Amino acid sequence: MNIIVFIKQVADTEARILIKSDKKSLEIENKYNMNFFDEFAVEEAIRIKEKFKDSLITVCTYGTKKAIEALRTAIAMGVDRAFLLDNTNLDNDDPLIIAKILSSFAKKEGFDLILCGRQAIDDENANVGAMVAEFLNIPHISAILKLEVIDDKKVKAESELEGGREVIEAQLPALFTTQKGLNEPRVPLITGVMKAMKAVIPAIDPCSLGIVKEDIDTKASKITVLSYEPPQSRPPVKVIDGETPEEKVKSLVKALKEEAKAL
Amino acid sequence: MSKDVLVFIECKEGTVRKASLELLSKGKEITEKFSSYLYAVVIGYQIKGIAEGLKSFSDKVIAVDNESLKDYRWDTYMTVLEQLIKKYTPGMVFGASTITGKDMFPRLAARLNGAIISDAVGIDLDGENVRIKKPLFGGKIISWVVCKPGSTSLISFRPNSFSIEKRSLNGELIEETVEAPRDSRLNILSIDKSGSKKVDIQEADFIICGGRGMKGPENFQILEEIADIMGGRVGASRAVVDSKWREYDDQVGKSGKTVSPKLYIGCGVSGALHHTMGMDTSKVIVAINKDPNAPIFQYADYGIVDDLFNILPFLKEELKRAKEEI
Repeated sequence: MNIIVFIKQVADTEARILIKSDKKSLEIENKYNMNFFDEFAVEEAIRIKEKFKDSLITVCTYGTKKAIEALRTAIAMGVDRAFLLDNTNLDNDDPLIIAKILSSFAKKEGFDLILCGRQAIDDENANVGAMVAEFLNIPHISAILKLEVIDDKKVKAESELEGGREVIEAQLPALFTTQKGLNEPRVPLITGVMKAMKAVIPAIDPCSLGIVKEDIDTKASKITVLSYEPPQSRPPVKVIDGETPEEKVKSLVKALKEEAKAL
Repeated sequence: MSKDVLVFIECKEGTVRKASLELLSKGKEITEKFSSYLYAVVIGYQIKGIAEGLKSFSDKVIAVDNESLKDYRWDTYMTVLEQLIKKYTPGMVFGASTITGKDMFPRLAARLNGAIISDAVGIDLDGENVRIKKPLFGGKIISWVVCKPGSTSLISFRPNSFSIEKRSLNGELIEETVEAPRDSRLNILSIDKSGSKKVDIQEADFIICGGRGMKGPENFQILEEIADIMGGRVGASRAVVDSKWREYDDQVGKSGKTVSPKLYIGCGVSGALHHTMGMDTSKVIVAINKDPNAPIFQYADYGIVDDLFNILPFLKEELKRAKEEI
């Protein structure tokens, strides 16, 4: 089984993020992690390999050289090899372009199964997975909660629906996006960490994947960020006074009704 | 590219979802400004009644009614939408950032080679420009984004981003027949919709969320009762879900659902960043916590510092009374 896992390195939720004075760029504190939802994808790939021992797990990200750290985390967890699709000089955040690049990589490497997180926690887009599947002309199943690989041709997956669940049988090759509940991602062992530190991670120029630079550079982007701004700050909390719980609740409901118009 | 707006309508239990009506309301505002058309597209089986009901909200209602479209699947629904978009050439296509929207819109954008902005929360009309408001980093940053002129733009909005404006348009109903073959590589074995009677948590106007301070799963009963009175939903913090007191479906926060109800009440929720990232676009936030230093008070509009078990019974009674008055 040939498994590709796409991951993204994202700013830690605790990282300080400042808007630069031009309002068009951000300064992000140097605290990064593998995207939360991608950890489930890496873990699931490793579990499939535990069952189908001759599998090869390739993890790949599109990002800066810094993103190699996230790839090392995946190697420490147990994947076989990792590649960086280096975005130096290609500063581009359009999901359509990123999906084109990732799908070109998958095409070149070959695959039976692709896994990636349901969404990135920085932009919360949930775009790239399904877009990659479209470019590869393979089926996708979003936000899976269970994955049972029957053989190298067929899997059974359970995914979330509005107000329920569905069980789907899919023919491989196919792409699955992962979410919490699928598994418990492992904490890397020290031996894994040692291996990851020594691993050679090639940086690939996306243009070497048979893509024309004009199709993936900043000018090709179909979306443009005009500006960044801080969220509107909330006024300080109004602590509701009262002698008894009942009094407090009465004052709260009154305020919700008359002042906040929330009832 | 035209300035027409097409809204993909989502239905649930035979009615139009609130999130779709919000999009139609905003869509009408835009098309009024540009003197363009607003299309409502509804796909499904036996949807005549729904399509009729949409006439008052839109200029044209396009209904694709076919037994093979009874349940949503990205392969069939996307093919239908793709063909309608090619036929009617709207400049903008709106959908809700729901499980369905997140599943289909990106793939459709890839097929159309279009621009996509997901999980947006607002829109600003500035001259000929349509600026889209999208939060990043769990709401720590707001970005304003535009789509490249001339490209079909697919934009999904978080439910509760816009208010519903009742209209009395009398849109034209167009019934389209579109071939939508199933992708033979996918075979749905079973569908369990046991939770579909519940209000969708992302769409709920009212969420009462329990944290570790609820002390145990049995104590969520009163939250359920309050949610029922308010027609809303019970949410849960990560700690609660990790302790298996509540299902993952209920989880609000970075690793769960992003919600923005009109009223959010946090009970015994400390307000850790990974939680507040998922709820800080709520219109009004109330925190009930006995610890006056709990971080949730930094996000809340109103706070009660007290033991929640003393507060909740009264809260239930008062909210019930307030509801009955309306």
